[in-house]
Amino acid sequence: MLSLLLQAVVDGILLGLIYTIMALGLSLILGVLGVINVAHSVFIMLGSFFALGLLTFLHLDPAVAFVLSTPVFFLAGAAVYRLLIQRVQRAPATIGILVLFGLMVVVETAGILLWTTDTRVITVGYSNLRLSAGPVTVNGARLVAAGLSLLATAGAYGFLKRTLTGRAVLAMADNRDAASVLGMDVGRLSMLIFGLGIAAAGAGGVAIGMTFPFAPQDHIQWLAWAFLIVIVGGLGRVESTLLGGLVIGLVQTLAGALLPFSWVFLLMYVLLLVLLIVRGQGLAGAQRREL
Amino acid sequence: MRVAAPELRAEGLEAGYYAGQSVLRGVDLRAAPGRLTVILGPNGAGKSTALRVLAGLLPPAAGRVLVDGRDVTRVPAHRRAELGIAFLPQGRSVFGALTVHQNLELGGWTLRRRRPELELALEAAYQRYPKLRPLRDRPAGSLSGGQQRLVEVARMMIADPRLILIDEPSAGLAPNLTREVYDELARLRAEGRTVLLVDQNVRAAVEIADYVFTLESGRNQLEGSRERFEPELEALIRAWLRV
Repeated sequence: MLSLLLQAVVDGILLGLIYTIMALGLSLILGVLGVINVAHSVFIMLGSFFALGLLTFLHLDPAVAFVLSTPVFFLAGAAVYRLLIQRVQRAPATIGILVLFGLMVVVETAGILLWTTDTRVITVGYSNLRLSAGPVTVNGARLVAAGLSLLATAGAYGFLKRTLTGRAVLAMADNRDAASVLGMDVGRLSMLIFGLGIAAAGAGGVAIGMTFPFAPQDHIQWLAWAFLIVIVGGLGRVESTLLGGLVIGLVQTLAGALLPFSWVFLLMYVLLLVLLIVRGQGLAGAQRREL
Repeated sequence: MRVAAPELRAEGLEAGYYAGQSVLRGVDLRAAPGRLTVILGPNGAGKSTALRVLAGLLPPAAGRVLVDGRDVTRVPAHRRAELGIAFLPQGRSVFGALTVHQNLELGGWTLRRRRPELELALEAAYQRYPKLRPLRDRPAGSLSGGQQRLVEVARMMIADPRLILIDEPSAGLAPNLTREVYDELARLRAEGRTVLLVDQNVRAAVEIADYVFTLESGRNQLEGSRERFEPELEALIRAWLRV
């Protein structure tokens, strides 16, 4: 029993690290820009297919895809900001959610046309590798995905805390007008943080694709998970998302060790529902600033 | 220290926050170079709105903003900082999660590609406001109201602005701190900077002013030098209180 729990804890931590990078973009975009990006999860889905494509056509390892996904999805995010978000910036927040919902439907539909609704898996040499240390066994792909996720999360943390531009982003999140009159171009900084948020979603999608089967229409689960993480951890800070990610990863694996598999998902959705009711202020950032 | 300060002029400003609801309905203002100009008026007269337009945070529906004769009406707020224009908004505006030092650093955002210059400016700020030195690594959000105000002023001064717009600097401060704020404003003026001040604290503001404008319901009401103004002050305040 003890070794079962130990196994669940290790798995939960690895899963939590993957969940952190998967949810980080949602948290940053909501916390800094006050935008509820309901299209977040289609970029996770695109990240998984990006890794599959690079593996299938160029024989590139998903770890390489993880690294390459960040500039590619950064540019995609910056483009989405310019073409969609900036246009509805002065409109009520509900309009912004509808626009992003529309983007989600369009991308999901395009994904189904392109890749069908078949479920895919990414299989590489270390996918079925099992590494044992005492009573604990970890999966090779999951270990690599978690390690890369931790590095990317640390990179985001370092950028926000240790660089002047990162602190300008935090300043803008705190007081947009004050940042603006000190000379910070809040439009450019917003595009930057939106791009970074989508880059994290894309990289998170690569990590998710290395860990779980995926299909174009399955991404909604990750949107729900990401919201759960943001509400548990809190908004807009990398360390909060890490906390939320680890908690959700551990809840999932510990519940999985104690409950039948089908109950775990139900438990997670009930948890989301309960938290939205009792801790709804986790999303209060959306009301603080207009989209 | 004397610096060459610009003249700020606003002509026929019309502005508002919602379509069809003008707060400013044709306002003319002038801040003379190196002088301290005060805008007074009852609540809702449009004083803060005028400053927001001048700072570039609110685009006017009509009218022009001129700095030394150059039309800056369409220049966005962040570009005005590079022109030596600073704006201290009303209420708390420190970046609460960042330390005092990090706040000051961001005050030097326009110097970010000239790091040695920024370092000198930061050191000069600690000399100018020595009370901030021991608070250097404290999160700005954890400071008292008066200390936060000091951080805001110091942060604004890092870029050595020549034209300073200030909205309600003493609001919410204890009386002894209020005194310090007006001393600082007098010092900015003595250094030859152009200062445009919006204030509810009518007596304290007029005391240090060179020139006074009053607004009412989004329009110019009166204007004149302090000497011309002081005798009318009591009557004005009484009139506004009845509004």
